[in-house]
Amino acid sequence: MALLEIDDVTAGYGVGPDILTGISLEVNAGRSYCIVGPNGAGKSTLLKVVCGILHPRSGEVRLNGIRVSGLRPDQLLAEGICFVPQEQSLFPEMTVRENLVMGAFLVRDRAVVNERMVRVFELFPLLKDRVSQLAGTLSGGEQQMVVLGRALMVDPKVLMIDEPSLGLAPIVADQIFATIQGFSALGITVILVEQNARRGLESTEWGIVLDLGTKRFEGPAEGILDDPRIRELYLGAALSKGDDE
Amino acid sequence: MTEIIQVLVLGLLLGGVYALMASGLTLLFGVMRIVNLAHAAFIIVAAYIAFYAFDLFQIDPLISVLITMPVMFVLGLAVYLPLFPRIESSARYTEMTVLMTFGLALVMEGLLGFFFTGIFRSTRPPYATDAILWADLFIPTGQLLATGVSALLLIGLWLFLRYTRTGTAVRATMQNRTSAQIVGVNVRRISAISFGLGMALAGASGSLLSYLFPFFPAQHWRWVALLLALIVLGGLGSLKGAVIGAVSLAVASAFVTNQLGPDWSPMTFYLALFIILLVRPQGLFGKALRI
Repeated sequence: MALLEIDDVTAGYGVGPDILTGISLEVNAGRSYCIVGPNGAGKSTLLKVVCGILHPRSGEVRLNGIRVSGLRPDQLLAEGICFVPQEQSLFPEMTVRENLVMGAFLVRDRAVVNERMVRVFELFPLLKDRVSQLAGTLSGGEQQMVVLGRALMVDPKVLMIDEPSLGLAPIVADQIFATIQGFSALGITVILVEQNARRGLESTEWGIVLDLGTKRFEGPAEGILDDPRIRELYLGAALSKGDDE
Repeated sequence: MTEIIQVLVLGLLLGGVYALMASGLTLLFGVMRIVNLAHAAFIIVAAYIAFYAFDLFQIDPLISVLITMPVMFVLGLAVYLPLFPRIESSARYTEMTVLMTFGLALVMEGLLGFFFTGIFRSTRPPYATDAILWADLFIPTGQLLATGVSALLLIGLWLFLRYTRTGTAVRATMQNRTSAQIVGVNVRRISAISFGLGMALAGASGSLLSYLFPFFPAQHWRWVALLLALIVLGGLGSLKGAVIGAVSLAVASAFVTNQLGPDWSPMTFYLALFIILLVRPQGLFGKALRI
């Protein structure tokens, strides 16, 4: 059985139109996925539905066969579904350490929190020197490391990351992608949304193409990059943008 | 020289109480983006509770803080839960709260007038008119005690926000609401608690106000205008800003009173409001707003 099932979900914001128009997906444990597609395809909206910030208008999301759509974000987080949004998401007036501790807000056992913090510092040794610095004063790349580190503090089953390379210098973005690739080895199922389709697909196993709020195609990530038809129909702009850099 | 110090002391003694009043208002904006125009009306409600506690049961206003705080906390929740969460997802939430709390203030004023009439009230504990003479300085005992209680409560608030799990969640929600949700903070619960907390601070302020300034139902407009000036100076949503804004404007108005007479004192606040909006609209400690 799939770890996560998205079943015929429609969703939108406020009284606006449907952004997701009946999408169905299955996500298997331990794999890494990249969702690609043109602007407005509903990629970020899908992640927001899965993590509970946005509730579906119809359809449902199941985790291990149990319905989870309709739960609050904190309840979904307790189930191991963690979301890293694309907009600036740190607590700017807290230190790096406080931000990481906030990541484990639902964990009341101090020893576990410290254990996870050690693991984060192993992955991001640079953060160790910055523990007492206010998060708002870090560079963009460092902030993204804290964001990912904070997500690891949750010890998530599913980690959904929205546009991790947004606004980062290419070298820094490379580091971030390398780190995300390493998450699979930790047993975390990764769902990545990435505007830069080439980079995103290169660092994941399975690709999902979204357009107009529904799934158009899915398959092994490298196959999508090589398929001229998909490139032309859905990824033209996104791929050439990646090639420019 | 003594005169300058004297005016400074009087200003500082008022500033502590102003800071307590403003802290609740800025907390509501910081956590929930609520502009609570009814804040001073809640303070007046608490002042009436303190007045009747004193009048009927001889409970000292400093002691009645222990009554007004929990009562106003509960009253705050009773007002918050049915009214605010339902409009929370609106893109115009802040603007809607301005209208809603304006209406709330009118309703409360009407009810207060109906039940307690419009006449001036004031509690008269023995220290209200006492003063200490110390090294040529005239220190009104009532104001000294009120500022002391305010300082204790503000320190308590700071400790709560800094060192408790719930307090940390409140700070996280103030800094980034979506992220707080993402790390597992139940922001609905935190919002309700913060509203109750803001009202509890209004409650304590009401007890202190009951003997410092005579009050009547419609007087809350004057107070809320003043409080808004204080927190705009400090930066909306910043507790540190509210305290510094309150103390500095209280001192400034004390000097204006001393130099130009008490009639000019209210002007200080609005003039400061005017200048800060022109020069630094986000206030001393506020972030440039994204509403």
